[in-house]
Amino acid sequence: MQDERGLIEESRDLGNGYHLLKVAAPRTAEAAKPGHFVMVRILPALDPLLRRPLGILDARPPYIWLYYQVLGSGTRLLAGQRPGDSLDILGPLGNTFPELPGQRVLLIAGGRGIVPLFHYARTYGERRPLLLLYGGRGKADLPLLDRVRSLRLERLFVFSEDGALGQQGRLSDGLEKIVRDERPDVTMSCGPEAMLAALATLLKPFPTRDLVLLEARMGCGFGACQGCAVRAADGSYRRVCDEGPVFPMEEIQWPT
Amino acid sequence: MADLSADLGFCTLKNPVITASGTFGYGEEFLPFYDLDSLGAIVMKGIFREARPGNPPPRLHESPAGLLNSIGLAGPGSAALQEAIRRLHARTPVPIIVNVCGGDDDEFAEVAAIFSAMDEVSLLELNISCPNVNKGGACPAQDAGHTARLVQRVKKGIHKPLIVKLSPNAADIVGVAQAAQDAGADALSLVNTFLGLAVDLEARRPVFANVYAGLSGPAVKPLALRLVREVCLKAYVPVIGIGGIASGRDALDYILVGASAVQVGTVNFYDPAGAARIVAEIEAEMVRLKIKSLSEIRGKLQA
Repeated sequence: MQDERGLIEESRDLGNGYHLLKVAAPRTAEAAKPGHFVMVRILPALDPLLRRPLGILDARPPYIWLYYQVLGSGTRLLAGQRPGDSLDILGPLGNTFPELPGQRVLLIAGGRGIVPLFHYARTYGERRPLLLLYGGRGKADLPLLDRVRSLRLERLFVFSEDGALGQQGRLSDGLEKIVRDERPDVTMSCGPEAMLAALATLLKPFPTRDLVLLEARMGCGFGACQGCAVRAADGSYRRVCDEGPVFPMEEIQWPT
Repeated sequence: MADLSADLGFCTLKNPVITASGTFGYGEEFLPFYDLDSLGAIVMKGIFREARPGNPPPRLHESPAGLLNSIGLAGPGSAALQEAIRRLHARTPVPIIVNVCGGDDDEFAEVAAIFSAMDEVSLLELNISCPNVNKGGACPAQDAGHTARLVQRVKKGIHKPLIVKLSPNAADIVGVAQAAQDAGADALSLVNTFLGLAVDLEARRPVFANVYAGLSGPAVKPLALRLVREVCLKAYVPVIGIGGIASGRDALDYILVGASAVQVGTVNFYDPAGAARIVAEIEAEMVRLKIKSLSEIRGKLQA
C-alpha cells in the first residue's frame, strides 16, 4: 500500500454514467492483484472530503484501469478530470481473489461488478480456462461487453434483463443450470447486493467454494475508521476494506 | 528553526500535533505511511472494558467538507487494546494516550485504572462526549454535575494525568469545562463531534439507525474554534483544540486562541500521512511568520 500521484492518460465516457479511466500509477500497477482496490482523491479539494474506493479493472504497469459509474459528487468530479490531470491514488488495498491453480473457477459479474473479475480473467485466464457469467439490466449496463469478449475464457454466458444481449433474464436465472453443467470447484462473484444475496441462496446446495467481493462506502480504506462495516453471519461486523473486500460467501449475513 | 514543543504543564510534547481518538485506529494502521514518532502523541480509538460490535451500517455519510459518523465506538475491549499498545510501543516511542469510555461511571473508572497501570501509556483521555453511544446523542459531558462527579471518581483510581474530552453539544460547554477542571482534570480537549442529522429524502428516513450522528471535518472548524476560545478564556489547565484541522495554519489558529496543543482527526482518513504533513506545515508557517516558539502566540488573539 502506498500513496502515489497518478496521471490520467485517458478518460472515456462509455454512456449511461459509466466511465473508463486509464491512469499512469507505476507503483500501484506493479503491486495490483485481482480484487485489490484503490482510494482515489482529486487534489486539493476538501469537498468531497473523502477518497472514493474504486476497483481495479486491469493493471499493466505503468497503467491501471478504473471503471466506475457516476453515482454522486465524487464520481461526478472524477468524470470531469481530463488526460494530464493528476489523481492521488492510495493502494493497492484490501485482500484479493486467490489464484487457485488447477481449480475450475466460475466468475459471476453483475453490472459494474465485472471490475475485479475482469482483472482476474486478464491475470489468470492465460494460464487456464475460466468460466464467466456476466449480466446486467440491458445493453447500457454492459458497456464493457466487447472488452469482456476479448478475454481468454473457456465459456462466456451473458444475460440481460431486457434480452438485448445474450439470454434474456437475470444471471441468477441461469446460474443453477450453468453450475450443474459446468461443475465449477469455485465461484467468485461481484455485483449488486440483491444479486449477491440471491446467489448465496442459489449456490448453497452446491459443493462449490464461493467467494464474494463486496463494495462499501469507505472512510479511509485501510482499516482505521471502521466505517465500511458489514454484518457477518455470526452477528459481528467485518471491515470491507481490511478483512475484505473478498469474503467467503457464507461468512456474510445476506438480507432476506 | 522554530521550537514546536508543546508544554502541557505535566508533560512536554515534541510538537503540538496529536491524532484524535477514533480517527487513528490503534496506531498500527498508519505505520506504513510515516514514522509515528514525528507526532506529538497519538490517541487510541476509544475503549470500553469489553468488546463492542459498534453500530449497524451505514456508519458514514459525507456532507460538504464534512463527515457524519455513527461508528458507535466499535472496539475489541480493554484486554485486546493492552496487547495492541504493547505491540505498538515496541515499534515506536511516540507517546500513547488511551481514550477511556464507559457505559456507566463504574466502567469509566475501571477502564481508566487498567490503562493507568500500563507503563507504555503516557496519558489518559476521558471520553465523556461521544454522541454515538446513546440514542439521541446524550453523554455525560452535557451535564456539569455529572462531569464533575465522574472526573473526581476516575481521578481517585489513577496516577497518570487525565485529559477530559468535552462535547460541543453541551448547552454550556464553558460551565462543563470549569466543572471538569475544578474536579481535577489535568487538561481539557475539545471538541468532540457536533450532533448532526442526515436524512434519506426518497425513503423519508434518517440515514443512520441511531438517527443523529457526529459531524467532523473542515466544515466544523469555525464552530469549534469559537468554543475552544471561550473555554480557553476561562481555563486554568491546558486546552487541546480539536475540530476540522486540515493544515498547519488551521493548527496555529487554535494555538492563537489559547490551545496548548491540537488534535487532528478526519484528515487522517483522506490523507493518511496528513498529521505528519501538518507538523511540517506548522514549522514552515512559524518560520515564515518568524514565530520562534508556540508560547509566543498562544492565546495572543487580539480581540
